[in-house]
Amino acid sequence: MEHVIEEQYVWQLPVRVYHWINGLCVTFLFITGLYIASPVLSPAIGEAVWYHKMAWFRYVHFGSAFIFLANFIFRLYWALFGDDKYGRFAGFKPWSPVWWGQPFNEQLKSYLFIKKEEPNYCGHNPVAALTHFLFIFCGSVFMILTGLAMYGENNPGGFTDTLFGWVVLIFGSSQSMHTIHHVVAWVFPVYLVLHLYAVIRHDIVDRSSITSSIITGYKHKVEECPE
Amino acid sequence: MKKDTTYKDILEARGVNRRDFLKFCSLMSVYLGFSSTLVPKIVRAMETKPRIPVIWLHGLECTCCSESFIRSSHPITADIVLNMISLDYDDTLSAAAGDQLEAVRKQIMKEYKGQYILAVEGNAPTKDDGVYCMVNGDSFTNMLKETAADAMAVIAWGSCASFGCVQNAKPNPTGATPIHKLIKDKPLVNVPGCPPIAEVMTGVITHLLTFGKLPELDRLKRPKAFYGTRIHDKCYRRPYFDAGMFVESFDDEAANKGWCLYKMGCKGPTTFNACSTVKWNEGTSYPIQAGHPCLGCSEPGFWDNGPFYTRLADVSFLGTNANADTIGKVAVGAAAAGMAAHAVGTAIKNKKQNPLTTNEGEG
Ligand code: HEM
Ligand code: HEM
Ligand code: SF4
Ligand code: SF4
Repeated sequence: MEHVIEEQYVWQLPVRVYHWINGLCVTFLFITGLYIASPVLSPAIGEAVWYHKMAWFRYVHFGSAFIFLANFIFRLYWALFGDDKYGRFAGFKPWSPVWWGQPFNEQLKSYLFIKKEEPNYCGHNPVAALTHFLFIFCGSVFMILTGLAMYGENNPGGFTDTLFGWVVLIFGSSQSMHTIHHVVAWVFPVYLVLHLYAVIRHDIVDRSSITSSIITGYKHKVEECPE
Repeated sequence: MKKDTTYKDILEARGVNRRDFLKFCSLMSVYLGFSSTLVPKIVRAMETKPRIPVIWLHGLECTCCSESFIRSSHPITADIVLNMISLDYDDTLSAAAGDQLEAVRKQIMKEYKGQYILAVEGNAPTKDDGVYCMVNGDSFTNMLKETAADAMAVIAWGSCASFGCVQNAKPNPTGATPIHKLIKDKPLVNVPGCPPIAEVMTGVITHLLTFGKLPELDRLKRPKAFYGTRIHDKCYRRPYFDAGMFVESFDDEAANKGWCLYKMGCKGPTTFNACSTVKWNEGTSYPIQAGHPCLGCSEPGFWDNGPFYTRLADVSFLGTNANADTIGKVAVGAAAAGMAAHAVGTAIKNKKQNPLTTNEGEG
């Protein structure tokens, strides 16, 4: 048996709110995005102007995109200026060899079963932080930039196009940009698989209530007590 | 050839009446998106300005741009067009050839230094010293650079000259290179399309003539007046797109009824061109109106964004030709498999480390 010896408040409200808004938006974006690429619902019969099936999916995609964007900016603000040691990714220093050497290496070795110990971090463990950075931070920035560039195309010279239209030059053509936006969209479900697995696994191995921590904010430290 | 004749002189000589001449000028101003107050300016330019000498080079190309150009719609346009510019050198249209013709080119370059327009159809193969396109014993690449040096402006006709078209589609065996990558120090306009619409070509020249400079260009150096909107945004089938009413196969009811061609691979949503407004062949029709999806012929790299008849492009990825969704599904599958294996690893490790945890139930 084990019992809880300490309750730790890890995820402050802004982080939790960000997390779930983000999760919802990504879900909507992914589903509507795939639908935009291959609209499968059977066509309506009647006058075209009465129906807005495709228009509606695009509308939801763009709507969630802007909520997703606002939420992302909010999280960046919180990471940079929030009074939140766990939410700040404070220990995350990928530019420093020391970070790669000690904490990251140790966690990675543990994940790869090379080391026996399971380091137990209160905030993000270094491997998780890196995964979040690559998948969520870079992935989101990529989707936002390409997304806004495509969004601006209906009005060249307009506000969005002026700010983000240059992105198309990186990919050569608008069609290639659609394709790459579509390919990178898959980063999110891949991340979700890794993420959910990691969370559930930690919960089982460390018994730290990590799964519910993203709802309640609290993680628990447990101690084995001999019978 | 007498060089300083004006357009009016030529038109008169050809028996074009004043009424038709004015019609032409108004038509051009409409295509270029000018207000009607600018029509007199076009008229005056046409009447007074000497014709601009043009050297028209042909690199790796199929001559579809020339073909399009000589089919300008307005009855007198066809007539004017070829005379409108003083087409002093064009190796496809000239009677002369070889040394004789090259001598003409050199002469224009000398006499009209900094005043002539260099129009290029096709692009330049740069691999292996340019041997894949030779003109009169020299590589086309050299000829292009030499002729561009003293030009006032450069017009890149068609997708070949603008972006490379089929010649520089993967794997681009001849190193075909679009003009703007070779000539960087001259005002340059791209007029993409395979071919570009005749009225668009005439429009660009009319603008150049009237104002003495290139029209306003976008990021890809295309004239905004013609390439400012996507086919999709002015497509008459757009209501069907928004409604979600799509053609599913070329011989279904929907195709018959003229619904949206998006699922047939229509590239209208990603193609900037004037087809859905100016149309083709005297404004008769355009591909979508005829029931065929847009191929995106005026977009960079459109050959590599195929297949033409599916919405999702094939992406070459680790030597395969998969589409985005196949790549995605494989990645998710791999992640899931990896995690499952890891879970097994974790279970084994836990069992070894702490045999008690597995029979907690009895504790
Ligand atoms: C689309 C779905 C999801 C996305 C995109 C996502 C993304 C993220 C991100 C970006 C973080 C870092 C939080 C931060 O510091 O801002 C995070 C943390 C976390 N998420 Fe999710 N999440 C998703 C779904 C879920 C679900 C379904 C659960 C479980 C119930 C969950 C549980 C957690 C937990 C426990 C953490 C903290 C983990 C840690 O120690 O790093 N997430 N998630
Ligand atoms: C998690 C984030 C996102 C995912 C998973 C996602 C997914 C997708 C997918 C799969 C497509 C279809 C691409 C195609 O094959 O044509 C698409 C299209 C598009 N997305 Fe996103 N997207 C995301 C974020 C964004 C953002 C932030 C914007 C910004 C406004 C955006 C704007 C667009 C636009 C404009 C289109 C093209 C719609 C059309 O062609 O009608 N997306 N998205
Ligand atoms: S036919 Fe093509 S351009 Fe026209 S609305 Fe459909 S997708 Fe857009
Ligand atoms: S409809 Fe598309 S493919 Fe056809 S000519 Fe116009 S731009 Fe080219």
